[in-house]
Amino acid sequence: MSLPPSLRQSVTPPELELIACQQLVEIVPLISMEKTAFISGAYGPLRPPHRAKIPIWMAVNLKQKKKCHIIAPVWLTVEYLQQKLTQETTQAHFTQLPFRFAEISRVLLDVASDDLQNPDKLRTLLKDLREARQAKARAGLENLEHSTLGLSNLSAMEINEIRPFFIQAMAVLGQLQPVFNKDRNTV
Amino acid sequence: MEEDYFSIDAILAENQKIACRFTIDIPDMGHLGGGGERDITRASTLQLPVWLVYTIVLSNWADMIMPPAFGSKVRNALKAEPCSVRLASLVGAGGLWYGFGKTILEMLADEGKQEMSNLLTNTFRKRLVEVIDQAQHFAALGPAGGVGPTGDSAQSFREGLDATERELFALAQEGSKRMKRWYEESDKPRR
Repeated sequence: MSLPPSLRQSVTPPELELIACQQLVEIVPLISMEKTAFISGAYGPLRPPHRAKIPIWMAVNLKQKKKCHIIAPVWLTVEYLQQKLTQETTQAHFTQLPFRFAEISRVLLDVASDDLQNPDKLRTLLKDLREARQAKARAGLENLEHSTLGLSNLSAMEINEIRPFFIQAMAVLGQLQPVFNKDRNTV
Repeated sequence: MEEDYFSIDAILAENQKIACRFTIDIPDMGHLGGGGERDITRASTLQLPVWLVYTIVLSNWADMIMPPAFGSKVRNALKAEPCSVRLASLVGAGGLWYGFGKTILEMLADEGKQEMSNLLTNTFRKRLVEVIDQAQHFAALGPAGGVGPTGDSAQSFREGLDATERELFALAQEGSKRMKRWYEESDKPRR
């Protein structure tokens, strides 16, 4: 393979972000547009001030041209994340969050922070969540088995982050398992 | 560590000598030991390369003596505190302690196998967390950061990493760096 080693292990965060941007988000358009066909499907029509659902990449593009307001997903609010953070720090297992919350929240906080309530607080909460979850993943390392690994509710970005070394570590553990008397019995 | 014929790591891991005590006399083979004697006598001990040990041990011509890298002294030290043992320095150049252990593992009888496997697995698992912690720490330091976690123990732990652990260290560090880069880019507005 001609890919550089760093790309062979797993996909990169920007690639995950690209994938996440296919998801739909609600916007309030500021321009009108007829229903338009894209490769991934037809979106529109945009009729201000009615809400419309379009992919995130398109919303980002329109937002940058100041042609829409993005409506934050229900989970991207201070109350919701605060509640999740409390759950995260009090329970032993991972709390359920949208699978691509890391990517989407980052993109929206980047381009549409003026459409979100209290973006700074959101950033802090997301960071705290990330750290709390990282600590749990780390604790999971101590009980790593060679054959199975159960970490439910882990998000795409987190899976991607731990994938290379978890796989390698599990492979090593697999190698260290004894293979009992095939045909040679020894010493 | 895998058994692939072309695996460089597997070849390097077997680049070791194991002491064996002969159980029979072998005439005219004294030159193998590099000494002046004509015959290999019963109960004499020779350092043999791993590839030869396989045959000799399996044919019951000699008993393998557990190499010092897995001897009781090291075992006790590992039981006490896995992170304070410098695995790399136990097995010489390349530092493939786990690979060598795997080689030995295959030559043991079943009960010995389980014990050996437990020793290797427990050591690996206990050290893994520290490996990843330090890797993430170094990734967080960025390109400029030269000084690692303070204290001699962390430093000496890093120096004593087995080649397998070193690989994991690099993987974890690379992954954390990528994540950090991605999160930090997000601080700038995109235009």
